[in-house]
Amino acid sequence: MSTQDVVNAGGDALAARKPTGNGVFSTVADYLRGPWCIAIYTWREGIRKKTLMGFLILSLLVIFGSTFLSAFLDPSAESDMELKLIKDICVTTISIFGVLITIFISASVVPNESENKVIYTVLSKPVRRVQYLLGKFLGVQFIIIVNLALMGGLFFIALYLRQWVLPTLLLWSILLTYFEFLIISAFTFAISCAATSSVLPTIGGLFIYITGTLTEYLKDVEVRSGQSGEFFDEMIGWLAYGLRNVLPNLQHFSLKMQILDRAPNDPPTDVLIPHLMAYGLIYAVSGFIMAYLIFRRKEL
Amino acid sequence: MANERFKSVSVIIETRDLNKIYEGALRGQDVHALKNLNLAVNSGEIFGYLGPNGSGKTTTIKMLLGLIFPTSGSIEILGTTDIAAAKVKRNIGYLPEGAYYPDFLQGEEILRYYGRLYGLAGAELNNRIDAVLELVGMTFARKRLLRGYSKGMRQRIGLAQALISDPQILILDEPTTGLDPIARKEIRDILARLRDEGKTLLISSHELLEVELISNRVGILFDGVLQTSGTLDDLLTTREVLIEVDNVSPQSIEVIEKAGFRIEDRVHQRMKLRVPEGRSTYEALELCKNQGLTLVGVMPRRETLEELFVRVIGAAEAERRKAS
Ligand SMILES: Nc1ncnc2c1ncn2[C@@H]1O[C@H](COP(=O)(O)OP(=O)(O)OP(=O)(O)O)[C@@H](O)[C@H]1O
Ligand SMILES: [Mg+2]
Repeated sequence: MSTQDVVNAGGDALAARKPTGNGVFSTVADYLRGPWCIAIYTWREGIRKKTLMGFLILSLLVIFGSTFLSAFLDPSAESDMELKLIKDICVTTISIFGVLITIFISASVVPNESENKVIYTVLSKPVRRVQYLLGKFLGVQFIIIVNLALMGGLFFIALYLRQWVLPTLLLWSILLTYFEFLIISAFTFAISCAATSSVLPTIGGLFIYITGTLTEYLKDVEVRSGQSGEFFDEMIGWLAYGLRNVLPNLQHFSLKMQILDRAPNDPPTDVLIPHLMAYGLIYAVSGFIMAYLIFRRKEL
Repeated sequence: MANERFKSVSVIIETRDLNKIYEGALRGQDVHALKNLNLAVNSGEIFGYLGPNGSGKTTTIKMLLGLIFPTSGSIEILGTTDIAAAKVKRNIGYLPEGAYYPDFLQGEEILRYYGRLYGLAGAELNNRIDAVLELVGMTFARKRLLRGYSKGMRQRIGLAQALISDPQILILDEPTTGLDPIARKEIRDILARLRDEGKTLLISSHELLEVELISNRVGILFDGVLQTSGTLDDLLTTREVLIEVDNVSPQSIEVIEKAGFRIEDRVHQRMKLRVPEGRSTYEALELCKNQGLTLVGVMPRRETLEELFVRVIGAAEAERRKAS
């Protein structure tokens, strides 16, 4: 058998396998088949992680405890202030635990797989590195979305049972929160592609989250540091300026004040949801491209 | 051109002046793991890739699979240098060194996952899963979680995943490490069968006896340099002769040893006498006759792969000492 025969044999087998016709569509479907399998696999592996489950259960307990139990103990004593407090606790819980889950899972999927060498068997299959990353990233998104849906869902039900109005504002908030997580996830994922363990990307993810929610504060720092005119001060000013402009502004994605202050079925105000979604997507795509550029020629 | 096409062997895997330098954190810590490697694996053969620990076998294999990248030089697989192309990868099955597989899945689920990555699906995939599980003798444990597999079972599942797409090329990094003697033989038989089906196998190993049993050609690597490669028939010299004799007495042994012939495998009155290269077999026979020994047989003695290995590595080590 000659080399060409072997190649042809492979090609023939492929041709027999491939659904014919539908040009572009079938090509795209073919291209995404590998990533899809990897995403499902990543999801199945991810939900077995004890840390992740721990975070999820803890957050559900907090939401459950603060909403149901307080009412259960003494529903008549409930004041407006208390309701506000409960909402505050729940929104904060969703945001904090959601971010922790997001960072934890985004930071670990790729380094874990290189560490336990499963990556060797996967990348030696007809899967391009970009397809691999796409699969991993999609799998991570499944996990984040399901976690968010569980936490948000529980809070949603709790709010509904209290006031008998559908808290649609909460749904908008959860949607935006997801896009916030998407950005954090993409950047953590990119860092994780350069790292050999999940420690560094976890720290990086937390850094992005913290600075991203402090952009207003950074602006403040920048303005004030420019005043003294000293070199060190100026440096800090420039650093703040740089961070503020490069990092995503995650404050935009929070509807917390509106949820606390407004009626549960009010439409969100002062935010352009499609703009924010596009903003999130652009950041996420840039994060993914960074991940690919880092991973493209990485030695495994 | 016509000659090219009708050549009886064709090269399936070829490296040209392949170099790999692992860059260290500091200057001077770089490891030159492969030096101008020119390797060729022909269609339908088992190529035994040998070398002591750290000689660069795994490095070569990882480069063939695109897991790491050459510092210089080129790799051609199935006639193309685009080794990341799906049409090449689809024809390669790979068993990495050391068995690590996702242990939260069942044996059969792992094969399904890897099969899907090859683009298999539906009945075809199910058939392949059944076939490879049967082939590696793991049908009985197909529903068990990998967490509960023994080392040998993991190694078998690893072989199964390498075979799932029925690839033309198999690249196996130490396939029998950690297996018991029976399992080794089974795996060896499977590999020989695959070769007989026309597949091309590149096998790295430390088990010289096994490699000698199944390989067509071997290459011996030392310190990143391919010291020698070729068919076993070409490499293993048969310049020595063994003479088997009976009715041996202690005095005759003394005489024979004094004459410079080595004695092997002595059991009671029977023994073998080794005639080294350059000595006359007639002389040895004459000596035996004079000592009144009974001649049982005369046979050519082929060097074992182990002896070749020791000889080649020994020479390379001496060379290196001289250089430094
Ligand atoms: N990631 C790495 N970084 C730096 N050096 C490496 C790396 N991987 C391998 N090496 C070095 O390259 C050389 C060849 O290693 P390789 O793993 O290819 O050997 P091997 O022939 O497979 O050995 P073994 O028989 O022990 O498996 C060794 O000196 C090793 O220390
Ligand atoms: Mg090795």
